[in-house]
Amino acid sequence: MKSKLLLTVLLLFTSFAFSQSFDVSGTVLDGTGLSLPGVNVKVKTSSQSTTTDFDGSFKLLGVPKGTTIVFSYIGFRTQEVVVSAPKITVKLSDDTRSLEEVVVIGYGSQKKREVTGAVSVVDSKTLDILKPIKVEQALQGTVSGVNVTTQSGAPGAKLDIRIRGIATNGENGPQAIIDGYVGDLSLLNPNDIETITVLKDAQAAIYGTIAANGIILITTKMGKKNSKTKVSFNSYTGFQEASRKLPMLNATEYALLLNESYANGGKALPYPNASGLGSGTDWQKQVLGKSVPLLNSDITISGGSDKITYSISGSHLDQEGIVGSDKSGFLRNTARLALGADLSDKFKVKTNVIYTYFDRKTINENGLGSVLFNALNVPATLAPYAANGDFTLVPNTTGLGNEIINPLAQIANTYNDYNYKKLNGNFGLDYKIFKGFTLSSSIGFNTSNSEGKTFGKKISYGGKVFDVQRSSVTETATNDNDYSFDLYATYVTKIGENHNITATLGNTIYKQWGNSANATGFDVPNNSWDFADLSLTKGVPSALNTGGYVYDQRRLSYFGRAQYDYKGKYLLSAMIRRDASTKFGPDNKVGYFPSFTGGWVISDEGFFGESKTFNFLKLRASYGTLGNDQIPNNGFLSLLNGEATYVFDGNLVSGVATGQIPNPKLKWEQAKKFDVGLDLRLLSDKVSIVADYFIDTRKDLLIPDIPVSGITGVGAPGASAPTLNAGTVRNSGVEFAIDYKEKFGDNFSLSVGYNVTFIKNEVLEVNNGTGIIELGNFGVGQPAASRMQAGQPIGYFYGYKTDGIFQNQAEVDAHPSQLALGANASPGDIRFVDVNGDGVIDSKDKTNIGDPIPDATMGFNIQMSYKSLDFALYSFASIGNDMVRNYERVLSDANRLDYVLDRWTGPGTSNSVPRVTTGATANNVLSEYFVEDASYLRIQNIQLGYTLDPKVTQKAGITKLRLYTGVNNLYTFTKYKGFDPGASFGPTNKDGVSQSPIGAGIDYGFYPVPRTYLLGLNINF
Amino acid sequence: MKKYLITSIITLTLFSTISISCSDEFVSPKPKYSIDSENYFNSKEDYNDALVAAYDLLQSTYANALLGEIASDNTLAGGESPTDVIGWQQVDDMIHTPVNSNLRDIWNWMFAGVQRANYILEFKDKTDFEGKTQLLAETRFLRAYYQFELVKWFGGIPMKGDARFKVGDEKTVPRSSVAEVYASIEADLIFATANLSPIASQKGRVTKGAAEALLGKAYLYQNKYAQAAASLNNVITSGKYSLVSDYDAIFEMAGENGSESVFEVQYTDVEGAGFTCLQCSEGNVAVGFSGVRNYSGPLFSSGFSFNVPTAEAANSFEAGDKRKNTAILDIAAWAEANKSYDNGKGVTFGKGNEDTGYFNRKYLPRKRSDNAQGDLNLTNPNNYRAIRYADVLLMAAEAYNRGGIDDAKAREYLNQVRRRAFGDNNHDISVSGAALTDFIWAERRSELFGEGQRFFDLVRTGKAVGKIPGFTANKNELFPLPIEEIQFANGNWKQNPGY
Repeated sequence: MKSKLLLTVLLLFTSFAFSQSFDVSGTVLDGTGLSLPGVNVKVKTSSQSTTTDFDGSFKLLGVPKGTTIVFSYIGFRTQEVVVSAPKITVKLSDDTRSLEEVVVIGYGSQKKREVTGAVSVVDSKTLDILKPIKVEQALQGTVSGVNVTTQSGAPGAKLDIRIRGIATNGENGPQAIIDGYVGDLSLLNPNDIETITVLKDAQAAIYGTIAANGIILITTKMGKKNSKTKVSFNSYTGFQEASRKLPMLNATEYALLLNESYANGGKALPYPNASGLGSGTDWQKQVLGKSVPLLNSDITISGGSDKITYSISGSHLDQEGIVGSDKSGFLRNTARLALGADLSDKFKVKTNVIYTYFDRKTINENGLGSVLFNALNVPATLAPYAANGDFTLVPNTTGLGNEIINPLAQIANTYNDYNYKKLNGNFGLDYKIFKGFTLSSSIGFNTSNSEGKTFGKKISYGGKVFDVQRSSVTETATNDNDYSFDLYATYVTKIGENHNITATLGNTIYKQWGNSANATGFDVPNNSWDFADLSLTKGVPSALNTGGYVYDQRRLSYFGRAQYDYKGKYLLSAMIRRDASTKFGPDNKVGYFPSFTGGWVISDEGFFGESKTFNFLKLRASYGTLGNDQIPNNGFLSLLNGEATYVFDGNLVSGVATGQIPNPKLKWEQAKKFDVGLDLRLLSDKVSIVADYFIDTRKDLLIPDIPVSGITGVGAPGASAPTLNAGTVRNSGVEFAIDYKEKFGDNFSLSVGYNVTFIKNEVLEVNNGTGIIELGNFGVGQPAASRMQAGQPIGYFYGYKTDGIFQNQAEVDAHPSQLALGANASPGDIRFVDVNGDGVIDSKDKTNIGDPIPDATMGFNIQMSYKSLDFALYSFASIGNDMVRNYERVLSDANRLDYVLDRWTGPGTSNSVPRVTTGATANNVLSEYFVEDASYLRIQNIQLGYTLDPKVTQKAGITKLRLYTGVNNLYTFTKYKGFDPGASFGPTNKDGVSQSPIGAGIDYGFYPVPRTYLLGLNINF
Repeated sequence: MKKYLITSIITLTLFSTISISCSDEFVSPKPKYSIDSENYFNSKEDYNDALVAAYDLLQSTYANALLGEIASDNTLAGGESPTDVIGWQQVDDMIHTPVNSNLRDIWNWMFAGVQRANYILEFKDKTDFEGKTQLLAETRFLRAYYQFELVKWFGGIPMKGDARFKVGDEKTVPRSSVAEVYASIEADLIFATANLSPIASQKGRVTKGAAEALLGKAYLYQNKYAQAAASLNNVITSGKYSLVSDYDAIFEMAGENGSESVFEVQYTDVEGAGFTCLQCSEGNVAVGFSGVRNYSGPLFSSGFSFNVPTAEAANSFEAGDKRKNTAILDIAAWAEANKSYDNGKGVTFGKGNEDTGYFNRKYLPRKRSDNAQGDLNLTNPNNYRAIRYADVLLMAAEAYNRGGIDDAKAREYLNQVRRRAFGDNNHDISVSGAALTDFIWAERRSELFGEGQRFFDLVRTGKAVGKIPGFTANKNELFPLPIEEIQFANGNWKQNPGY
């Protein structure tokens, strides 16, 4: 083999000798005229090549005249230059969408033109503009098929990524792979990221069992070879405010409404004299902060010699919350070191280690009795403070219930702290054994320690549920670890001129383990946060006050992939992965996940010709099986971890009982993914179009906590229902993305992107006997609000259809009785529809009244630059998602939104908002009245930047100095009445991590995502 | 040559890596620090700990006591609004259907108790130790207690002997007949009476007397008067129990586990609880739910105003019956009487749905200790007096009378109860036969008011129609099986008639 190679090279050199040749030297510059080091410079017809040095200059010896030289560099459009003179200057235009760009696809990479799966890439430039605080935000609206929703606007809150819809009951989030190892993208410093690659279809099958929800591959920044030390410093400061305030009743409106309500209920007026009340307290104004600070700085130092590259970075983020300011704050520091070294021609090593620290404080949010819930329900007639400066107590009356308390007092009495330290990284080794054959090995790890502390202050709100009789402090310490060890071989070869083959074979070992301990101490000295520590508490506990857990979960995987193409025109690949996981019982430990992808570059066909309009057209398709094992541990075993506590002799006695009902037959959840797509480039790459049609069918759905017959003892304390493979869900849809990029002269460039995704979600079967799974809370003491059922979207809202308002008694009498809903109707009450036509309105008339899943999501982005100015705008829209209004505490004296001013007060006054009364009505059962269309369009980010003339700044040693200002979450267009139409996540599953899609879209007074005004600068030197 | 060398190195490396660390053994670790339920019962302690678990579900019977009262003519559902706990509201109005999560709770929790008892009984032969018979007797008492609740509420239920139900059994194990369920209950309780100690080793443990009383009750529910009379009389003649002279004292904290207590479900407030798992509470959830809304004043603390007595019920007490003021809190009168409380602040309270002004005073939340853990509404420590000696006397009286065995004895037992209630002998009953039966039944309502007995007394005596508003004969005697269970069973279980 080697001898053949030598011969070829020798032959080539001999041929050069006969033609006219000379030495070529030159400089390579980027779009702004700066020299580009590390550019690959290659003679097209031979293997002769070099790279540019620190100054962007290069030299090739003995190049024949007329030879084509190819200049390529990641992030820039590859350029070919025909040599005509010994000195050339080449200006590379940056183009991340280049077809020659290399895309990582898991255990390998591929040129973009040859990719046969549905793969999208977001690069560091997009991240630079979006300035996401958390990485997930960068995927919202920038990638088709990906929907990102936030669980809260609180600093540091979790964001959910959904790739091509919601397909399972447990964890729906994609798995992130950071530089090859299993990691957590949410904790990364966004500025450390080079590219984010989203594998949306069967292309991800190389990751087998962890790939069903899609795979997100993160490549972190490395230094570049032969480049001078480059220092990049970025900093911005921001001011946050609530993007929305709900229109509530003021004190006078409130008093008058209550009078009417009491009168209708036949009771005495609570405010016989409502004059002089004025507008009262605006509780939202009291609770929501203004100009809440946000500060972020990061620095990256990178460079490299011809053998070694390095990149060192650090970042600091400090954000306070718009509710509760520092009581809901988030602070994150990261440090990173990336090193790459060519030990020899054959050995390459790479390491990348990240340290992350964060500290987070939270307030009670998104639930009955949360801070915002209270801010919305406390009457405007109450003042926040009493005359002596104490917080006003919300009266303990029936009309105000026993959850509504003064939200300011609630914030003041909230004390908690959570900090987290993590070290993660990898060490990788590439060994080129012979031509085309590379052995790669890598070990990646995550190890973290976290500590949490919550202080329960002894407090009285005057007989409310938040009263605490005895002070306590609870501390939790958790240790989580994992490693992924990969060993795989890649062989690249060519058979004849046209048959290209790449084969990959390897295995991955993954293990995660950890433990946690918690304890509660009582009687905190001085009833103060300053003394809230276990070391100081001496109170004797009356019940078990410690807890903990350990876990050890493992996965063993083998995989193989073969890629073949003929002239780069017909592309085929086949993958198979075998996974064994501890999540499943002995009989079902092992799963096999095969997949196939194929592509046809039609534009390379002779019949296609040299079209002026179409310069690239590729048709691709993929099909495969992927798996999901994201379920609670030990689901196949019956363990004695239930609750067994009783009282003997007046003292608590603890015994043992079984916990989760076991399912020994537990097996993989299978995702069958089909995708057919089209990649199109028009008008010399100015326009690029990607379109996909997909069907993702989840079979053997792992449904955690699935209802089973009560005879099994599932209702016992500490017992829980098993996880069963008991359903099928299908997501099918269309994705379309179009990008347009144009340069008008030297000064003006424009790029516009639009993407849209239509998804239809349908549950095909639920095999637990009832065919129905119910979850989700609405109101107080009401039945579950959401359902999963065949023929319906997962988590649809199950309630009553409405047909306006009864205008008079005759209408009431003509309508079936509504007594079964709680009370007989009167004029002014909601008229419910007799869906099943049996002449009575009862629970059998409940039906689908909406669902929280959007029919379509889309992103629209513009970037422009004119001379030194640059401008960007990112927007996102979600269409067809519904939301249940559940932040109104249905109590006679709670404050209300101002839409009640349009209520029914007599025949003909309203056909949409029912009367108010303290009397009995059925108006508050879950019906269409509470379901709102939460479609929205959000201007996510708008930014204007100015770069100082590099020629000027360079004199000060600064290669780039850019100042910018921007607004994140500028405005949301929506009809939804609540704080945030993007709030859509369900109740937490038993695993304590994932959220169930059943019960999503129920709004308890969501902590809104803030609007942030930014001012920042980038300096490179 | 070099090529082969390298290839062999690679092969060797790959092979060794895979064979050393990558066999499927790697993915079969034993779960750390956890106990597998199938490898348990290796010591006396193991059995004892599992028995605590079987006792645990007694605390969830708060739902049975509360709803047994709401279902009857004694109380209304109440609550915050007509849609507050809609399942209870529907039972109150006798318009309940198989779609009812509160009835499902009772089904699930009582079967959980059966399952935990059967876990012990399934492994009863695994390990021998001293005191095992007593332990098995306690276990069988508990199984009988849970099954008795189930047969009262739902009629015939599936049974699997001394074995736990597994997922799928609902499709194969049929519903036993009511008679078969009672046969099982009787067998368990006969074993329990024979083997239980007459004296509880700890307060809260079941005793021989409790087993005899429950057995007598089970006989009475089947109209087996002779056996009922015999079993109940054993309790009476045992000399272990007596009526507490001050009726009111029984229901205060100091009166818990007193001389009249034959069987009492134990609660405490030292552990917190939440709405997501009401059956997990160590407190009596029914008490907080029955409390006066937004109450502030002496003796009591506030609650959710469910289970409110009707005016008819409040007026059903005879003149001079001292029990009325223990059973019924007339909140307006109470407020009037305590005007001067706390420097003239007096009593304040709110009104809930279906407010009658009356509350179930025996099980109202009392003032709480500083140690009480929240949610205070869910952690009230009031024990549920499941079987009182007075109840035993009245059941015995009924058995002697209705069985035609001994009306004199029946009158004597009845009058013992009445003498305490009125504080004199002037209210003694002297009639016989059916007239005596009516007096005994009336006495049960007054004596056991608010204690969850009324609905089942009316049903078993055939008096529910006309008394309970909305009660439909040949339907409402039993509650429907939860719709989910009918669906899980996939045709194996038939719904109760009328639903």
